[in-house]
Amino acid sequence: MTTIDPITVEVIGSALSSIVEEMGEALVRASYSTNIKERRDCSTALFDNKGNTLCQAEHIPMHLGSFIGILPNIMKRFDLADIKPGDVFMGNDAYEGGATHLPDIVMAEPIFVDGKLIAWAVNTAHHSDFADLGHEHIYQEGIRIPPVRLYKAGELQQDIQNLFLLNCQVPHERISDLRAQMSANRLCVQRMQDLCAKYGTDKVLAAGEELQDYAERKMRAGIAAIPDGTYSFSDIFDSNQWKERMEFSVDITVTGDEMTLAFDGPPQVRSGLNMIYTSLLASCYYAVKAVVDPTILPNAGLARPLTVTAPEGSILNCKHPAAVEGRIAACQRVADIIQGALAKAIPGKVAAAGNGCCTGAIFNGIREDGSIWVYLETIGGGGGARPSKDGLSGIQVHLTNTSNLPVEALELEYPLTLLRYELVDGSAGGGQYRGGMGIRRVYRVERPCRFSVEASRVSSCAWGLEGGEAGQMTHLDFGDGRTEFKGMADLKPGQIVEIVTPGGGGYGDPSKRTREAIERDIAEDRITPDFAKQVYSFSE
Amino acid sequence: MVWRIGVDSGGTFTDICLFEEETGRLEIWKLSSSPDDPSRAIAQGVVEGLEQVDATAGDLGFLGHGTTVATNALIELRGVKTGLLISDGFRDLLELGRQKRPSLYDMNVDKPEQLVTRDLRRQVPERLKSDGTVDLPLDVEALKKEVQLLGEQDVKSVAICFLYGFLNTEHEALAKKVVSEMLPDVFVSTSHEVAPEFREFERLSTTVVNAYLGPVMKRYIQKLRERLDEVGLKVAPQLTQSNGGVIGFDAAANLPVRTVLSGPSTGVVAAQEIGKMAGFPNIITFDVGGTSSDVALLQNGICNLTGEADVHGYPIKAPMLDIHTVGAGGGSIAHVDSGGLLKVGPRSAGAYPGPVCYGNGNEEPTVTDANIVLQTLNPVEILGGRMKVRRDLALAAVQRLADQLGLGVMETADGILQVVTANMAKAIRVISVQRGHDPRDYTLMAFGGAGPLHAARLAHELDISRMIIPLTPGALCALGLLLTDLRADFAISRLTELTEESLAAVEAGFEELSVQALDWFATDNIPEDRRKEIRTVDMRYAGQNYELSVTVPAGPITLDTFKKLEEGFEAVHKQRFGFIAKGEKIQLVTLRLEAIGEVKKAQLQSYPKEGTSPDAAKIDERGVWMKSEGDFVTCPVYDRKLLKHGNQISGPAIIEQMDTTSVILPDMTATVDAYLNLIVEIAQ
Repeated sequence: MTTIDPITVEVIGSALSSIVEEMGEALVRASYSTNIKERRDCSTALFDNKGNTLCQAEHIPMHLGSFIGILPNIMKRFDLADIKPGDVFMGNDAYEGGATHLPDIVMAEPIFVDGKLIAWAVNTAHHSDFADLGHEHIYQEGIRIPPVRLYKAGELQQDIQNLFLLNCQVPHERISDLRAQMSANRLCVQRMQDLCAKYGTDKVLAAGEELQDYAERKMRAGIAAIPDGTYSFSDIFDSNQWKERMEFSVDITVTGDEMTLAFDGPPQVRSGLNMIYTSLLASCYYAVKAVVDPTILPNAGLARPLTVTAPEGSILNCKHPAAVEGRIAACQRVADIIQGALAKAIPGKVAAAGNGCCTGAIFNGIREDGSIWVYLETIGGGGGARPSKDGLSGIQVHLTNTSNLPVEALELEYPLTLLRYELVDGSAGGGQYRGGMGIRRVYRVERPCRFSVEASRVSSCAWGLEGGEAGQMTHLDFGDGRTEFKGMADLKPGQIVEIVTPGGGGYGDPSKRTREAIERDIAEDRITPDFAKQVYSFSE
Repeated sequence: MVWRIGVDSGGTFTDICLFEEETGRLEIWKLSSSPDDPSRAIAQGVVEGLEQVDATAGDLGFLGHGTTVATNALIELRGVKTGLLISDGFRDLLELGRQKRPSLYDMNVDKPEQLVTRDLRRQVPERLKSDGTVDLPLDVEALKKEVQLLGEQDVKSVAICFLYGFLNTEHEALAKKVVSEMLPDVFVSTSHEVAPEFREFERLSTTVVNAYLGPVMKRYIQKLRERLDEVGLKVAPQLTQSNGGVIGFDAAANLPVRTVLSGPSTGVVAAQEIGKMAGFPNIITFDVGGTSSDVALLQNGICNLTGEADVHGYPIKAPMLDIHTVGAGGGSIAHVDSGGLLKVGPRSAGAYPGPVCYGNGNEEPTVTDANIVLQTLNPVEILGGRMKVRRDLALAAVQRLADQLGLGVMETADGILQVVTANMAKAIRVISVQRGHDPRDYTLMAFGGAGPLHAARLAHELDISRMIIPLTPGALCALGLLLTDLRADFAISRLTELTEESLAAVEAGFEELSVQALDWFATDNIPEDRRKEIRTVDMRYAGQNYELSVTVPAGPITLDTFKKLEEGFEAVHKQRFGFIAKGEKIQLVTLRLEAIGEVKKAQLQSYPKEGTSPDAAKIDERGVWMKSEGDFVTCPVYDRKLLKHGNQISGPAIIEQMDTTSVILPDMTATVDAYLNLIVEIAQ
């Protein structure tokens, strides 16, 4: 093996991260669907030829789960010797295709230098399609695609593309988004070949190995700073799409510079709330890195000191044919309980719970010309209060970080009018530092459409820490008298739908909040004088 | 004798560049800035500069000024108390932004400070639809109540932004009228005037930044004008905008948001002109200061304009030169992180205490310290002898880092430069490879106090084969002010398809922009033979939301124009994304018109050719540590002032001048051209 000094490693590491960021920009800018071009629900990464993540762009942590799965599944089905330059694999199946739910389509292209496969360009994009389907099991959730060659040695496999597009509700967006994904990978291949030409392939690969070792060292250094012991935490996971409240729990055991995360949860359910093991892993990698050391490089090395277990066949580690479309809701709670357990290990360094949701609204209908439209959006909420400051209001938390769709783009593309988009007064948990505020979105429907919402924290709250209070729950109002809803609804023109997302938990005893901060919150209508009186014993 | 003056007012120094139109004489003057009131140093500098050349204020034909007043007020949050009037239901849009958290993994990172507090964001019942028609008429009585409330809160400025205000300006204009009547002393900024473009949050953010900075800029300009009057200035001063052009003081006072990149933009303009003169139109600029590096790409002598950028956390939609900044400069601090890798920046030792070698108590080694240790920088004194340095302190600091890394002290010093060079290269990749340009096709122009010091390594890193180091690298921004035109940008969002049916709409759109430009030409007294208009249109495939800018050929808008636009769009799309979607509908999104008032620019003097030997300029020799040798290599040291046209210097060599030090590596040859630029060729 080529030995390599720490400076060259840093230099090549910078080049790798600029390659994956560049891929991401190309994907967003060339794409057509609102979910990618404005909401940026996509991710890009480089893998080494053993299938380890070399570098992931800072987009959506959830997608790390998709990336982990694709290469083992390609290698399971294809002989490496048969893989040629210009082959492009696509897949989306949670069990066989390397994704974590069917709308995430993963594309992987091998990178060859001097006839040798040295790395993989991989990206995933959430295609907003497969709407208005069932979620009893995965066969209801859309077309399942194992890794297949969409391009063979650079040649488009038209029959495969045709098969896929016929199963899509908005084929015009799909084909354009696939082209954008292709464009991103092609760019990556070119850039990696240039990098190898410059430094030598051996050196680039050696730097890749070293970057993983480096991430591992940083993760170990971070874990070693946590006192040894076992820290347990549990929380309620609820969803408007499932009748029962469920309990998720974790025991985190820290021994020296290693960490074991042992989860427990109920058996998998006949709903899209289940997660496959790689989703659980992505949730753990995100949450542990965020608490232990946010600067650790997002590559495979950070996983080495971590052991993650959950009962097979449970909602946290489901088996075929469990449905998985809405797995992110459960993944958000996994991140919450990791945060809760680590708060016991290193009090004063961990924030209170954020809204813990990825509230999703899906509208779909038929346009005047007969074509189908599908609009998916996810709505942020309050962030948890930090140990020395208030939580952030109206943000995406944990495993997602998608943008909103500008109102002026939404109303242009879909028959919907957004009447209100605002922070929710009184939604944040009180405390010395209060939580962040949740979001209210109010839509007016302009043409008949089908609608569903995927919400959590419908009967539980984001918890506070060190005496801080819990935030307010999710609230749904369908404008027809219903405030609870499972499955799909038919909406009529003029109907008004309201979604209110949860506020974040507070941090520290409310009695310690400064008078000045309380007065400012009242002046800004963030809380009422009554709330101030009740929570902070405040009087003017 | 008619003198033209460029004044670049920075945080540390105010640079004055004087140019005499007839003789081509060019002089530079530098003095310390007066940050509490920048106009003081500017007026003083103008007087001192003129004294230097035995001229008086009456001899002045032009005064151009680049300022960081707007930028600094934004960074330091020294704007005014600002109120906002916004469509009912959208009070929190400013705080929600695009709903993303500012850092993916670090929950302690905050959103940028809100420039309008929530109690001053007032909602107005009104609503337009996506086609610009009225859904809910504006409730004037409710509006008046809100305006009165803002008045009671004593706001100094009001931003007005309604949904679709860029499509139908009626409601915003009405609100502006009401505010102006009720609060006559308040600065008003409307979204349709500041940034008439699609995407409400970015338009709102720009409008708010403009309102927040408006009174600050107005006050500054007023004061500066008074001071310049006092010293007897007869000409109307001009101010640089982020687009690199200058504009009259009045126009600048109304649109301060267009001057947030005023500082670095004129450096790019100067690079543009010097590149053309030297015969190298394809340039990557590399402007390195104490805490950051600004880089830009010039293709065929032109730096692209970008319509939007994130400035200190605030999205701003305004025409700006596409300048990318990275936190890597001479003062950037080197450290070893918990995983054992060497990192440099973005933390900087600043001007004070500054690098370890300044001896002001900083103990963490910086990039400058690494240069002192390697002796690429003069290890005894810098700034042309104005400042002594302590190499012993720098060496000890780098040694501490070397011990942590398990490397030798010289390897570590060299490593600091390698890492910072990689960071700089990353910035250049953003503006080159990420936009589809191969940096190897470009000449690297290095300026700023530390650009010429790092350019040679950067050229190697990017496989660039030629560099230019201009004559006055440290005062290039001031020089740029004398090389730029008057410029104003006008835009109008018109979503149409590239088909025959939209010919009339596009024609009418450009006609409207022309009328606005005409108005500006007249206000700024630009003679007809100096007027120029450049038209571009932002295009995309129907379905995409990011546009590519395509130039509109001169002449009337015809089907042939559309055909050329289609070809132009396809060429750019292919370059950026590697494919063309034949048969897909192409949309026109925003029509733009850049109005230019050509000014008589400084013509740099050329000198007769002399011999190739640079020996007469050689002032010293010193050992400079080179990684290739693993040891100190004796290098000749030249004085830039003494170098003549035609002189050739083979690397390794060091060239010193008051405002910078240039490094020529062993495989490089520098030639002095007729304008006394150093043209450095690198053997491949």
